[in-house]
Amino acid sequence: MSADAPLQLESRRRIVFGESDISDFDDDKDLPTESMPLMMGPSHPAMHGTVRIALEVEGEKIKTADIQIGYLHRCFEKEAEYATWTQIFPYTDRLNYVSPMLNNVGYAIAVEKLLDIEDKIPERAQYIRVIVGEISRITDHLTCLAAGAMELGAFTVFFYLIKAREWLWELLEEVSGARLTHSYVRIGGVVADLPAGWPPKLLDILAKTRTALSDADKLLTRNKIFRDRMDGVGIIAKADVAGWGLTGPVARSTGVAYDVRKDHPYLVYDRLDFEVPVGSTGDNFDRYACRLAEIFQSMRILEQALAKIPEGPFIVDDQRVALPKKRDTYNTIESMIAHFKLIMDGLHVPPGEIYSFTEGGNGELGFYIVSNGEGRPWKCRVRPPCFANLAVLTKVLPGLFIADVVPTFGMINMIGGECDR
Amino acid sequence: MATEPSAPTETVNVLIDGKEHKFPKGTNLLEACQSVGAKIPFFCWHPGLSSPAVCRQCLVDIKGAPKPVPSCYTTVADKMEVTTNSPKVLDVRRQMLEFTLLNHPIDCPVCDKAGECSLQRHYFDWDGMRARNEGDKVHKGKVIDIGKHIVLDQERCILCTRCIRVCNEVAKSPDLTMAFRGSHEVLTTAPGQRLDNPYSLNTVDVCPVGALTSKDFRFSRRAWELYSTPSVCPGCATGCNVEIHTSRDKIRRLVPRENLAVNKFWMCDEGRFEYKAVHENRVLLAAANGRRVTFETALLEAANLLRTDLSSTPDSVGVVFSAQATNEDNHALLRLAVDGLKIQRVYAGGLPLGGSDTILVSADKNPNTTGLERMVPPPVRTLKDLASDLATGHLTTVIVLGHETMAVPATTPVALIVLATHKGPLVDAARVVLPIAAWAEVDGSFTNKDGRVQRLHAAIPCTGEVVPGWRALALLAGQFGGELGYTSAGDVFAEATQRHAFMKGATWGPPSPPVQLRFGESRG
Repeated sequence: MSADAPLQLESRRRIVFGESDISDFDDDKDLPTESMPLMMGPSHPAMHGTVRIALEVEGEKIKTADIQIGYLHRCFEKEAEYATWTQIFPYTDRLNYVSPMLNNVGYAIAVEKLLDIEDKIPERAQYIRVIVGEISRITDHLTCLAAGAMELGAFTVFFYLIKAREWLWELLEEVSGARLTHSYVRIGGVVADLPAGWPPKLLDILAKTRTALSDADKLLTRNKIFRDRMDGVGIIAKADVAGWGLTGPVARSTGVAYDVRKDHPYLVYDRLDFEVPVGSTGDNFDRYACRLAEIFQSMRILEQALAKIPEGPFIVDDQRVALPKKRDTYNTIESMIAHFKLIMDGLHVPPGEIYSFTEGGNGELGFYIVSNGEGRPWKCRVRPPCFANLAVLTKVLPGLFIADVVPTFGMINMIGGECDR
Repeated sequence: MATEPSAPTETVNVLIDGKEHKFPKGTNLLEACQSVGAKIPFFCWHPGLSSPAVCRQCLVDIKGAPKPVPSCYTTVADKMEVTTNSPKVLDVRRQMLEFTLLNHPIDCPVCDKAGECSLQRHYFDWDGMRARNEGDKVHKGKVIDIGKHIVLDQERCILCTRCIRVCNEVAKSPDLTMAFRGSHEVLTTAPGQRLDNPYSLNTVDVCPVGALTSKDFRFSRRAWELYSTPSVCPGCATGCNVEIHTSRDKIRRLVPRENLAVNKFWMCDEGRFEYKAVHENRVLLAAANGRRVTFETALLEAANLLRTDLSSTPDSVGVVFSAQATNEDNHALLRLAVDGLKIQRVYAGGLPLGGSDTILVSADKNPNTTGLERMVPPPVRTLKDLASDLATGHLTTVIVLGHETMAVPATTPVALIVLATHKGPLVDAARVVLPIAAWAEVDGSFTNKDGRVQRLHAAIPCTGEVVPGWRALALLAGQFGGELGYTSAGDVFAEATQRHAFMKGATWGPPSPPVQLRFGESRG
């Protein structure tokens, strides 16, 4: 024991209540500052149960942030190698599970390109795909805004927006039969026509959704608490967009006006009038504002599409791609064989590879597919937009406070099903 | 084949789809096209049969010919210019297929061939048109019992005559024929006759549709649910190459696998039922002194018996090799009993001779007689010697590899250590029973009557305490402190190729795990 040890003990015992003797406290000695690991998630309500952010904090300040994913890995890509081309649709539903229609559409377009039947898809089917896709985009953005607001304490907003989302999902349920896991799109078109009397219902719901959005807007956009936590927080530099592969609202919030629907038009987007809202600073508020503005753009698209949608078939007339009608299947050998082969073997996609991409809820949703001519893909890789969008947090979070993780992560809108696949 | 012209053969230049190729003179045009990757559909042509050109699916354009020509019936000629995929040819094939489908019943959901049907396949790959006929289909006989193993559905028949040619050319027993004409034409047997030749089930294999179905396999499994494993038939010394089709760890059927040097495309009906025994009457658990014991205890008991007798009366210990066992099992037994334990009395076991023919069936009903004979050092005694030695009391302890049909009295003073696959009098009389795997459960090799070493692949897993024979023998060797050092059948094979001249140069080959027929190349 060293000689001065009892002395130190003595000095610590000298505690003065009321007024402290500052000279007693040597910051370096008595309160050493050490960085501390802090695990946010995976069982943290704001981490949506599907991601862990390993923070290294110094006091309240974040030093480093390690984004750890994989909690919702569903083996999508490997499963796809053991399913026929059509059986993969239900798996795509579960990629970004708040906008399944967009995933359905993205996958279908990729396979159609490989089949070289892109220009044979009936126009009505293309319009239907745009309509259900844009509804999905709205539900996607609504979820992000609602959850983001709720995590900052604005629970009323959550109810307003989630209610609107539910109306839209009920519409999609009417179209597809399932509230969330629609599996509505098929290679060559869609599985069924829009139900009779459906378009007026959509317009009605859009009007109600506008009201809900206006209410939410009033509660949030000029709310000091909300703005204080969003403005200037989580800034993503415009220069990082290309390097990190950012797309969707996250990229657009920085001022990069990249939208697949505009830059590489597919379906009938080139015939519809809409704008791509962009932000300026790339902070959380810009992402919020972009999403809000995009919802209104999607509504514009929906109204135009409903006005322009032509009558006609909703799926290609080729029984080697699309299932023949049951009446034909049960009464002619030709359709029976086609039906049998489509179900048991899967449709025959010529050997080749394709990278096809569409605008998903979170940005560029890509499918890289390799076929060796069998009834199932040899490889089906997904380029999930929020995988790249999430990765950038490792650069954005350091320097922020722990409390900033919640709105910043919330505005990225990471969806585990898509990010982890 | 067609692409390897041997030196003295005259070759011809043929232009196929714009590319020039050389073929030996006399090559069949269809085979020539196939060999260069041009895809041509066909129903009636079969590589092992003559060409009748009745299905009109293999039509190709030949420059100068007034109309499309059946490629299966044409031989290549010098400066021939062939187009296999011109719009005209594709259209003609489509029209011919439309005729074929005209009266075809809508049976796919209940048809045994669905999923491996050539008609389905060609329609889907080459046609895809919708039906244009509105009228009723011509109805013909269904579920006609035409043979011991076969059921005929005349409606499904597309009149390709492959089955007729199989009977005529392979089985040399002209049992089938076509009757009537036009859309009333049917496949049938002569009145009062039945399709009962010993190769009848080959007609089911060659049938492109579900007209001829096997009574044994019918309705047991859908074709796409099966997994296929390449193997060799254990039925006789010919060693026909087969595919074992399994589902849920049970063998559902055996079908021939092409090997031009052994069985070409065929196998006998008897061989097809070899699989049944794999699932029947099996020894699954170890036993000693008539009681169920653990495998380890059985090994210990066997080692004790051998040790006692080898030290007191070494000449009274015998070992029985088996012509039913794989080369690997026999080799492991050789290492243990002859090399390790120095047992002098060596016997060769196997099934007695049976019927034979000049086509495929051998009189020797053991798949590995040649391997056994070339592996075991002389003097080799026969089972007859064994019976007399057992009766005269020359023997006190015998190791027997897998020969359950051997006749032994129910109570014998001789200590029998039996490595058994199936129950039988031998197992009942045995002092120690070690359960070993049957042919479909192991990786291994058989040597057929021509000395050809052929690979078996495990199609189903072992059940109970069953282990491959070589492993049981390696474990027994371990009891004597003599490790054989095998971790897989491939190790045994590798060691055997070093030692036995007849296996020299044989290669183990890549693993061939079961492939699901749905995703493998469909048999249709």
